Amino acid sequence: MRKRNLTAGAVLIVLGVVFAYLTSQLPTRAIENATQPSFFPWVITACLLALSVALLVQGLLPMTSDRVSSPPTIPRTRYMVGLALFLAYLAALPALGFIAANIPFFALLMILYGERRPVHVIGGSVVISGAMFFLFRQVFQIRLPAGILDAIVP
Amino acid sequence: MNPDIVEGFSQASQLSTLLSTAIGSLLGLIVGMIPGMTISMGIIIVLPLTFVLPPDISIALLLGLYVGGMTGGSFSAILLNIPGTPSAAATALDGHPMAAKGEAGRALGIAITASFLGGLFSFICLYFVAPLLAEIALKFRSPDLFSLVFFGLTIICSFAAKSLIKGLLSAVIGLMIVTIGQDPMMGTARFTFGQVNLIAGIHFLTALIGLFAIPQLVDNFAAPGGKDATHRPQTRLSRILPRLADLKSLRLPVAIGAPVGAFLGILPGAGGPIAAFISYDYAKKLSKDPDSFGDGAPQGIAAPEAANNAVTGGALIPMMTLGIPGDPVTAILIGALLVHGLAPGPLLFLENGGFAYGIIFSFFWANIFNLFIAFAGLRLLVKVLATPKAYLMPTIALLCVIGSYALRNNFFDVYVMFFFGLLGLVMRWLDMPVVPLLLALVLGRPLEEHLRVSLISSQGDVSIFFTSPFSVFFLALAAVSVFWSFYAGRASRGTRQPPGP
Repeated sequence: MRKRNLTAGAVLIVLGVVFAYLTSQLPTRAIENATQPSFFPWVITACLLALSVALLVQGLLPMTSDRVSSPPTIPRTRYMVGLALFLAYLAALPALGFIAANIPFFALLMILYGERRPVHVIGGSVVISGAMFFLFRQVFQIRLPAGILDAIVP
Repeated sequence: MNPDIVEGFSQASQLSTLLSTAIGSLLGLIVGMIPGMTISMGIIIVLPLTFVLPPDISIALLLGLYVGGMTGGSFSAILLNIPGTPSAAATALDGHPMAAKGEAGRALGIAITASFLGGLFSFICLYFVAPLLAEIALKFRSPDLFSLVFFGLTIICSFAAKSLIKGLLSAVIGLMIVTIGQDPMMGTARFTFGQVNLIAGIHFLTALIGLFAIPQLVDNFAAPGGKDATHRPQTRLSRILPRLADLKSLRLPVAIGAPVGAFLGILPGAGGPIAAFISYDYAKKLSKDPDSFGDGAPQGIAAPEAANNAVTGGALIPMMTLGIPGDPVTAILIGALLVHGLAPGPLLFLENGGFAYGIIFSFFWANIFNLFIAFAGLRLLVKVLATPKAYLMPTIALLCVIGSYALRNNFFDVYVMFFFGLLGLVMRWLDMPVVPLLLALVLGRPLEEHLRVSLISSQGDVSIFFTSPFSVFFLALAAVSVFWSFYAGRASRGTRQPPGP
C-alpha cells in the first residue's frame, strides 16, 4: 500500500499543479466586492496540494499501515477483456444504436459471466436487450436512438 | 389539521403512488437479498424510470426500494451467511446459526417483524422531527448554511474513510469535479475546454452510476456463473410468522435497535452497519442470556434488523430538512428530486409542504408494504437467490447505459459514466473511499454558493462565519468530527493486532 500511496500522492500533486494552472487562466470580472470564478478552485487547489503532500509523507513514513481491503481476485485477462468490451460497445453505440449494439454486447457479457450454452446466450441477449429497448422507447417514451435499425424499428 | 399533512397523506395514498411504493418494496427485497447487489445499485437500476414518472410516484418507488432493500439484506444473511447489504452483516451473526438449526423461517419472520417495527419507529421520528428541524433551518443565513454544508462534508469524510487523508482527498476530488461548468455566481464557463456538454457540469447521477455500478460489475467477473457451490440457499422454509413467545422476546432488542438506528441515521455518514452492530452489542449486554448470542438468539436478529431499518427514516430527516444526505441512498434521492426541479431543504416544507409530507407518508406505506410483501412472498422471493449472474449482470450493465443516456438524452453522459467507473476502480485500488467524492458532488455547489454569498455580504471578511451562533455551532461540530476521526484512526491503529502466521 505504501507504494500505491506514494504513486497516488505524486500523481495528485501533478494534478494539483495542472488544476492551479487552469485556475489561473480562468476569466475575471471587474465587479466590486465580488469573489471571482477562480476563488473556489483556488481553495480546492490549496486543499488538494496539502492533502497530496500529506499522503506522500504518509507513504514515506515507516509506521504507515500496509493493510488494504482486498477486492475479489479477478483474472487479469477477464478484467481487461471486460473493460475492452465496454469501450468497444461505447465507441460503437452512437453509430449502431441501442438495439444493434446492445444485443452483441449483452451476449458477450453473458459469456464473460460464465454462460456457455449458445441457445441461452443468443436467446437471452436478444430477448432481454429487445425487451428493454422497447420498454424504454415505447412505454417510458425515452427516445433511445435505434441507429442503423432506425428505418425498421418502430 | 395542517392542510399540508392532509395533502401529503392523500398524495401518498393514491392508487398509483401506493402501487409504486409496493413495486419499490418488492424490488428492494429482491435487490437487497442478492449478494453483490446493493440498495444503491437497485436505485440506479430504476433511475431511468423515475425520469419519466411524476415526482411523487418516483419518490415512492425509491423509498419502497430503500426500505425493502434494508430488509432484503437480512434474507441472504440468514439463509446464506452472506449479508445482502452491509447493514445486514450483524444479522448473520445469529440469523444464520438459527437457520442452520432448521429454523430459517423463524429467523426470517423475526427479521421481517423487527425491520417493520424499526421502520415504523423511524417514521414517527421523521413525522415529528423533520417539520420542526425545517422550521429552525429556515432561520439559517448563508454563513450558517455554509458551515452546515461544511460540517456535512467533514463528518461524511471522517465516517467513510479508514484513512482521514484519503477520505478528505476523495471529497476534494469531488469538489474539483463540481467546479466544471458554469460558475454559479457569474455564469462564466470553468474548465469546460470548449466542450458544450460540460457547460451544465457533470450530472451527479451519471457520476454515481459509474462510481457504484462499474466496479460492482467488474467484481462479479471474479466468480462467473453465479452459483457458489458452498452457499446453497435454503429455500424450503418452516413456519415464518413469529410465535407469541418470539414477539415477546423482541420487545427489548427492538426498543434498543429502533432509537439507536433512528438517531444514527440522522448523523450523516453513520449509516446502517454501525447502527446494527451497536444495537447488537447493547442487546447482548442487556440480555438475560448473553451467552445465547451468536448461537441463534432471536434478540440477536431483532436488534440489528430494527436498527438498520430505523436508519432509513433517520437518514431522511437531514435529507429533507437540510438537503444534507446521510448516505449514498439519500444522496441519490436528492438527485432524483433535483431532476424534477424539487430541491430538498427547509424550503421544501414551506413551498411544497404537501409534497414533503407526501414523502413522509410514502415512507410509512413503504414499511407497511414491506411487511406484507415480505411475509406473503417470502417463499417465492428466496428463490431469486438462485438467479444466474450471467443474466443479472449484463442486464444491470444495459440499465446503467440507458440510465446515463436518458438523463439528458446524450451519449456524452454515457462516456462520463464510464469515466467515473474507471475512476471508481482506481480509487478502490488506492483504498480510497468513493462515498466522500459522491457526497462532495452533491454538497459542492451549495458549499461554494454559500461561501461566496457570505463573503460578498461581509466584503471578504471571514469573521462572518464566527458571528452567528448557528454557524459557530456547525463549525465546532465540523472540528470535533475531524479530530474525532483522527483520534479514532490513531486509536484503532494502536490496538490493531499484528497479522497472524
